[in-house]
Amino acid sequence: MDWNATLEFARGPFFNFALIFFIAGMLYRIANVVFLGWNKDFAKPRASKGNGVVKSYLRGGLILPFFPREKKAFVNNPITFLAGGLFHLSLFVIIFLGAAHMLAWKSLLGFGWWTLPLPIVDFMAAVGIISMVALIINRFNHPVLKRLSGPAEFVNWLLVFLPMLTGYMMTHHMFFEYKVLFSLHMLSIDVLLIWLPLSRISHFVFYFFSRTIHGVEWGKRGAMP
Amino acid sequence: MTDETIYRHMQDEGVSRRDFLKMCGLVVGAMGMTKMPPLDASGLPASLNKVDKSTLNHVAEAMETKPRIPVIWLEFQDCTGCSEALTRANAPTLSNLVLNTLTIEHHEALSAAAGFQVEEAKQQAMKKYAGQYVLVVEGSIPTGEFAAYCSVGGRSAEEILKEAAAGAAAVIAVGSCASYGGLPAADPNPTQAVGVMDLIKDKPVVNIPGCPAIPEATVGVITHFAIFGTLPELDELHRPKTFYGTTVHDRCLRRPFYEAGKFALSFDDEGAKQGWCLYKLGCKGPTTHNSCATIRWDSGLSFPIQSNHPCLGCSEPNFWDGGGFYQGQSTPLEKPTLGTVGAAGAAGLAIGAGMAAAAKAKKEK
Repeated sequence: MDWNATLEFARGPFFNFALIFFIAGMLYRIANVVFLGWNKDFAKPRASKGNGVVKSYLRGGLILPFFPREKKAFVNNPITFLAGGLFHLSLFVIIFLGAAHMLAWKSLLGFGWWTLPLPIVDFMAAVGIISMVALIINRFNHPVLKRLSGPAEFVNWLLVFLPMLTGYMMTHHMFFEYKVLFSLHMLSIDVLLIWLPLSRISHFVFYFFSRTIHGVEWGKRGAMP
Repeated sequence: MTDETIYRHMQDEGVSRRDFLKMCGLVVGAMGMTKMPPLDASGLPASLNKVDKSTLNHVAEAMETKPRIPVIWLEFQDCTGCSEALTRANAPTLSNLVLNTLTIEHHEALSAAAGFQVEEAKQQAMKKYAGQYVLVVEGSIPTGEFAAYCSVGGRSAEEILKEAAAGAAAVIAVGSCASYGGLPAADPNPTQAVGVMDLIKDKPVVNIPGCPAIPEATVGVITHFAIFGTLPELDELHRPKTFYGTTVHDRCLRRPFYEAGKFALSFDDEGAKQGWCLYKLGCKGPTTHNSCATIRWDSGLSFPIQSNHPCLGCSEPNFWDGGGFYQGQSTPLEKPTLGTVGAAGAAGLAIGAGMAAAAKAKKEK
């Protein structure tokens, strides 16, 4: 197998296609939701909408388990909360604050930013990978999650896990030649980019939609404590 | 083989015993021979095959007993930079060893003779030392219908290489061009140039990539073959592990700054003046296997990163087509233009809006 050609393909035309597909696909998904419009609500607001939005985001953030009223949800499935939270944090740190990834952003956007030292990014990558393993084990074992999971959930998990695993192996020069791992890393990212708009991983956009809209609705009705 | 031993020849050249032993020490150091290679492989007489000898003694004894090795050096699509580098090798005695002491039977750039005479001399050497000589190749080889783009004496490079390789004991490809095609093979590869290992499959081929190849590595491999009669341990790209076992990044003097996240962001900022890591200026050190950071250039004076320039990754396959020299290796090679993104985005938006409108209409009905 010609890994040089594979790498050039994965970094070149395939990435190009995947990125265009991703952008078009995500805009399609967003338009599909936004252009449905809102029903008119003639009721008088009981409380501040803005307050509701802020509280909605706070509840969704990491402080959630410490809210007494959310405690039950946390106790029922602590692994989803802890590993899920750590996983998202690690994803943010690696994708935006890793030097190599920032350079990729810089070449796409035209501007760069400050990055974290490698050992910290590396530690977060390990945290992310361990969290993902914990999450998939939990998904298989948890009585409720088990019944909620279909093939799409496992594909989601796999397609997010592969870039993380190959990226970690690549930085540590593990088992395979660098260009092999680099090719696999880029290929897995290209596939993930194509899969993103087709899957529920698109929650990286819709999460903010739902948090804001729910915040507004709850805030207006005074349902936010 | 030539009749006289390497040591005998050096004595005739006026090299003292002390200088000879010093040179043996250099060979041991240059090849990083911390332990003895397998004794059987050395081909030494049993009386000398004693385990209690140090590597230095081993090398010295081999030089005293082994006959000189004939070398045939071919040049194809190259710039002679690797030969140039060799004549300026950091240890003069080492390059001397290859250029003078080992019999270089044929080298176009260094040869005093020219034209048909030099071709004839090569033919004679190939006949005389058939199956024994080391073939060193510099430069890539054009193939197929483009084979004529590099011809010597009316014959194509491909033909010359195959003829010379047939009688060689081992083939050493020196430089990135001979190893992987190098610059001549850069996109769109107008002469369909390839490296030696793509054409020669039936002989052991050693690659010493680099632009130019580090002369100590070239000398080390040839000397290893001369002394032990075997090739050094190679990796999957046929590179000697001694010189290509680690990346430039692994041994870089600026590595601590990389770990600490201290980067130069332009060539004249404070970071560059402080000698911080050049990763964000496109350094390919983390992916480049070579010993620039340890052996360095010009008598160990410096290497690109020490001189405040990022590594270009010249010893890796396809380095010319691996993206911009000043762009990180993590950056995509191709990216969508604003027009493409706009068109695709607009299409996505339009379809999405259409679907939403249809759903809304259906609901209102």
